[in-house]
Order: sequence, then structure tokens, then C-alpha cells
Amino acid sequence: MRLVIADDSALVRDGLRHALQAHGHNVTATAADAEELLSVIQHAPPDVALVDIRMPPTHTTEGLRAAAQIRGENPDVAVLVLSQYVDADFALTLLRDSPAGSGYLLKDRITQLTVLTDAIERLARGETVIDPELVDLLLHRPATSCRLTDLTDREHEVLALVAEGLSDRAIAERLWLTQKTVETHVRHILAKLALPPDADHNRRVLAVLTYLRAA
Amino acid sequence: MTATRRLRAAAFALAALTLALWVMDVVRQLQLGIADSGLASYGVAGVAAVVVAVAVARQPGGERMALVIAVWLCASALDDLTVDWPVSRSATTAWMLARGLAPSAYALMVLAYPSGRLRRRGERLLVAFAVVVGLVWMGAPLLFFRPGACSTCAPRVSSWLYTGTTFDYLPVGQASWSAFIALGLVFVVLLVRRLHAAPPGARVTLLPLGLAVFFAAAEFIAQRVVWLGGWQSPVAALDWIDRANALLLPLAIFVGLAAIRRRRGALGDLVVELGRAGPGQVQPALARAVGDATLELALWIPDREEFVDEAGKRIDTNAIPPGRALTAIGPPAKPLAALIHDERLLGQRTLLEAAGSAARLALENTRLQAELRAQLAELRDSRARIVEVADAERRRLERDLHDGAQQRLLALGLALQLLRERSADPELLGQAEAELQTALRELRDLARGIHPTILSEQGLGPAVRSLADRAAIPITVEAGEERYPAAIETAAYFVVAEALNNIAKHAAARSAAVTVDRRNGRLQVGISDDGCGGAVATAGGGLQGLADRVAAVGGSLTVASEPGAGTTLQVELPCGS
Repeated sequence: MRLVIADDSALVRDGLRHALQAHGHNVTATAADAEELLSVIQHAPPDVALVDIRMPPTHTTEGLRAAAQIRGENPDVAVLVLSQYVDADFALTLLRDSPAGSGYLLKDRITQLTVLTDAIERLARGETVIDPELVDLLLHRPATSCRLTDLTDREHEVLALVAEGLSDRAIAERLWLTQKTVETHVRHILAKLALPPDADHNRRVLAVLTYLRAA
Repeated sequence: MTATRRLRAAAFALAALTLALWVMDVVRQLQLGIADSGLASYGVAGVAAVVVAVAVARQPGGERMALVIAVWLCASALDDLTVDWPVSRSATTAWMLARGLAPSAYALMVLAYPSGRLRRRGERLLVAFAVVVGLVWMGAPLLFFRPGACSTCAPRVSSWLYTGTTFDYLPVGQASWSAFIALGLVFVVLLVRRLHAAPPGARVTLLPLGLAVFFAAAEFIAQRVVWLGGWQSPVAALDWIDRANALLLPLAIFVGLAAIRRRRGALGDLVVELGRAGPGQVQPALARAVGDATLELALWIPDREEFVDEAGKRIDTNAIPPGRALTAIGPPAKPLAALIHDERLLGQRTLLEAAGSAARLALENTRLQAELRAQLAELRDSRARIVEVADAERRRLERDLHDGAQQRLLALGLALQLLRERSADPELLGQAEAELQTALRELRDLARGIHPTILSEQGLGPAVRSLADRAAIPITVEAGEERYPAAIETAAYFVVAEALNNIAKHAAARSAAVTVDRRNGRLQVGISDDGCGGAVATAGGGLQGLADRVAAVGGSLTVASEPGAGTTLQVELPCGS
């Protein structure tokens, strides 16, 4: 798989490239800021771009803006934003326009290579990725958790994985269930939360996240 | 007997004499059967003028002016005297002297208004010349007049000064008249100049001067007509002007003096008014007292050695616009304040100084207040600057944590991954990785606590929602996406953060609500809970800290916290636009 890494820290950039190449990925280019990243992608579009949310010049959320631009100009390039912020609004900003192929992961995950490579592979397949810690935060918002009391424990688990962007099949694998069972759970959950039974699971992610965030 | 009382007595005596002359003359005219329709108006005008002169004399400070008026009235009465009654040398002498001196008495009265003194050199010269011309004019008949030599002349006897010889003095009279006309023109010029230089707000006090100009001009024109027409006897117009003059001028002087007195009285009111004057009221009170609506008050700030206005703003005394003048109040070396006013008020220095002294106490207060306000403004600015610097420092610290320590920890994590590939001790590696994850999470929380990036990037609404996501109880957030100045957003955010913290720690609340909106051009933030209430702001406590933070950026914080009824914090901050 062809990857591009954008991070202003050379230490992290090189470390990440070594780690991913050791896992059999092909890191075609690296970039130190958003501008460089965009030109690299123009020249040789990768399958997935890993983008640090903080880059020069302001070191705040340049990565988010670069991601939106990439998704707008090259919809085939999936983008994984690596963020230091556990903030639902940043993730929702990223997902709002094109959830398929957009990912928001905490930067800490680069030290958990299996989580990272799993996310990269899911994004390459056109899925959505949301960091579990962010989903956990939203699920345990006091205002949210009291609206989820109708759900069974199993449905809770399934809802969390739906919010992380996992496909029904992936959820089935993760929970040792059949895909059919997962589909039933999902249908029940959506009905209980009064959400539309949406076929596109990426739209479903956005709907669930928005639901969890509301009120 | 004081000088004032002497002056007043003299004025009364002259007025009485004038009245007696008039009465005598009227009686005489009635006796001779020469009284015509003009007699009534003549008598009334004379009596009324004397009454007015007495009224002027009774005004405090009007004694000298009254004496001057009485001199002129007396001269006029003598001038008007039908001189064949009684047939005497004394009457003839008095009549001639009075005729000669009446014009200068008139000029003296008008020019000496309102003080009764001639203050300017030009005015003194004019009156002196008028006396000289008058004496030359009447000197000739005094010395050389013999009854019978002139058939149309009224006196039946010569004066006391008659030399026994005759002399054709008609050319002297004509030359004198020409000189009088020239002097009359100068007189009008002097009057117009005084009218022009008069201070604002003194219209009524100028009435006598205006009337005098009008009469002088009218008389001048009438005399030219008489002169050109070659008539020997005065025409009715001149008579009419003289009578109106005799009545209206003293009356105008009376009204004018009363108006001046009222303005002085306004000074008395000023003292009372200033005693009650709050900040910002001294200037209007002074403006009213001196009758200059454009008057500005400049307060001296000794520390800065400069003048400031009541709002504490600096006034450049070197850049006073033309037409304006500055009058210092208090000792020149150590002024208390200064009045910047219409230049024409300089002629009324006494009024300005009196107003200044009356205002001194209140000014001292106002000055102290202005000084205090200047200091407060400085304090406010410096407090806002301190907060600004602290905020910038927080942002820098947050950045350093993310871009320094965190990147290094992440690089360390990546190195551990590579180590795992070469498989050392997996259990030990697992422990190291777990420690690392904890360190990264703590670092992230620390950075968020110092300065949340969501606040500067997405604004107050998302940042407050993010706080609510992390709260232990349900928090309803009503906030839009509107952005505010950074310092305001930061202050509001930390107030909400601290308030939610307090709710979690002390309130025992089941839920809370945060509202953020713009109302009346201010940012309004409300935080309320359904907890136990009874929160109080103690020095060094959290609430006091919040109030200080809010005040530093020019906002206010109110707390309503009845025991058992929950706590509501209401914060109001300036929006900057």
C-alpha cells in the first residue's frame, strides 16, 4: 500500500516511516508541512495520507484543513488525521463532507502499530475510522448515557464499534458473532435511537456520532 | 461716610436737582402759555429718567454709574431750560455751560457703562476732546454774547463771564459743530468696537451700548439734514431723539446692570450648585455661570505636569484654537485648573476669576476624581495586559508540550515498536508501552488544561461543549458558533471550566446548564446548576478568582446562590464590537 506521511517533527516522521515500512507498507513520500503534503499528493497520489493535525505555521489544526482540501481535490486518497485533541467537534468537522475514507485517530496510536495499520487498511477500503477514546468519551457523556439506558450491554458494545467506523463484518469478527447477528443488533439500535436504517455504513457513523453528541 | 455712600448721595442730590429743574421748567412754560403738545411727553420722560437714575443708584455697585447718568440728565435739563426764566445772569451762565458740556456728559455716560469709569485710553481721550470742543463752542457766547446782537437767541441777559465786547462767533460755532460730528463718528466706532468685543451670553447687558449707537446714528443723520437744510431751529426729529434718549438710555442701563447683577448672582448659585455637583457637572455649571456654552474645563495633573479633561484625556495647551483663550485658576506656578473659553470673555476677567474661586473646591474634587480615573484607566489597562501576557504564555506552554515533550515520547514509542520487532523481553516492553501511553494521556490532559486548542480554533461554543463532554453530570449547552476576541473567549472559557469544576466538587447537582449568547452588544455567559447553592466568594477562593479574571477584561460576574436553590453565575463581557 502506498502511504504519504506529513509531520513537522523529523523524529516522528522518520520513526513512523521505518515502522510502517517494516510492516510492509510503501511510504512513497513524507512532508514537513501542509503545503509540501498537497504538492506531493498532486504528483503521486497515495492510497492513504497520514496527516499530523498540528503543522506549521500555527501548530494548531493545519492538518484538518489540509485533509479537507485533499478529500476535495483527490477523493480517492484516504486521509488519516493524527490528532492530539480528544474533541468531537474536530472529528465531526473532518467527517462532515466525506466520511468514507476519512479517519480521526489519536496520535498516541502510532506507538500501537497494529491499531494504526488496521486503521490504514480500513481507510484504504473506503471505511471511516474514529478513535475509540473519542467514542468512549461520547458514549459516557452523562447526557448521552441516560438516553442509552434502553440498550442491552451487547448493543452498547456494537454501538461503540459502529461509532468507531467498523463495518458489520469487522464488528462480527471483533465480537466473535455472525455478521447476521451484528446486522440484527444494528437494526435494533438504530430503531431504539430513532435513527434512519442507513445502508451506507459511513453515513451511519456520522449519524451515530451526531446523535451521541446531541444535547 | 464710605465712598459708595458718598457717590450714591451725590447721585441722589443731582437727580433731585434735575427733577426740580424739570418741574420748574414745566411750571414756567405753563405760566407763559407756551406749553405745547410735547410738554407732557417731555415731563414724563424727565421724571421717568430721574426715577431710573435713582433705581440705578440703589443697585449695589451701580452708584458711580448713577452719578454719571445724573450728571448727564442734569446737563440735559439745564440745556432744555427755557432760559428767560428767571431772567438772570446765573441762569444764562448755567445754560451755556450745560449746553457745552452735555455732549461730553452723554459720551461719558455711554462709554463708562457699566462700571461708571472710563477704562480705555481712547474713550478717555474722546470725552476729554468733547469737553474741550464743548467749552470752545459755548466759550464764545459766554465771553462775547450781548442780548440783542442776535435776534433769534433766547437769553435776555449776558452770562457772568461776559467781557463787554462783542465778537462774531458764528464761525466758531460752526467749526465746533464739525468737530462734534467728527467726535460723534469716533464715538460710534468705539461703541461698535465694544459691541464686537463683548463676551458671549451678554446680549442684554449690551442693550445701552446698542441703543446709544442707534441714537447717535439717528441724531447724526438728523443733524446733517438740519445742517444741509440750513435750518436754525432744531427740527422735531431732533427733539424726539433727545427725549427718547433721555428716557430709554437710563432705562437700558438699568436693565443692563440688572442683567450683569444676575450673572454675578449666577456665581452665587454656582457655589451652591457646585456643592452638589457630581463628576462631569462642574464644567456645565461653570459654562452657565459665565454664559459661555463652549467653555471647557482643563484640570491640572501635577504628576504628569499636564492638563486633562474631566474624562482624564490630555489637553494640549499649546494648541488652543484661535478665538479661544485660557484662564488659569489658582496660583500661576501651581494651577489647579484652567478654563478654555471664548476669547471675548477675557474682558470679564473678574467674572472668570470669581467663577474660578467659586469652583475651586469642586474643582479640587473633580481634579482628584480625574486623577483617580486616569490611574484606574492605567490600572485597568495594565491588568488587561497582564492577563493578555498570561494567556499568550499559556498558549506558548501548550505548544511547547505538544511539539517538544510529546513528540519525543512518540518517537520513543516508535523506537519501542522497533524493539518489539527484534523481540527483547515482551513483558518488559508491554510495561514500558503502558507507561508511555499513560504519560502521553497525562501530557495531553495537561496541555488541554493549560490551553485548549479547540477554543482558539473553533471558538467558545465547541470549547464549552467539549468541557461538557467531560463533565460528570449532564450539562446542557446552548451556544452558537459565533466568535469573539481571543481575550474574551479565553476569559469566558476559564470561567465556565472553573464553574463546572466547582459544581462537580461542591454543588451535589444532578444537572447543569451553560448558555452563551450575545445580548445588547455584550457576551453573556450563564452557568446554573440544581445543586445545594450557598456559594460565596471568599478572598483567594475560586469564585473571587473568576470575578478577578472577568474584571480584568472589563466584564462583570454576578452570583446568585440561595441555599437549596442551586447556583447561577452570570458573566457579562465586552464583545469588542
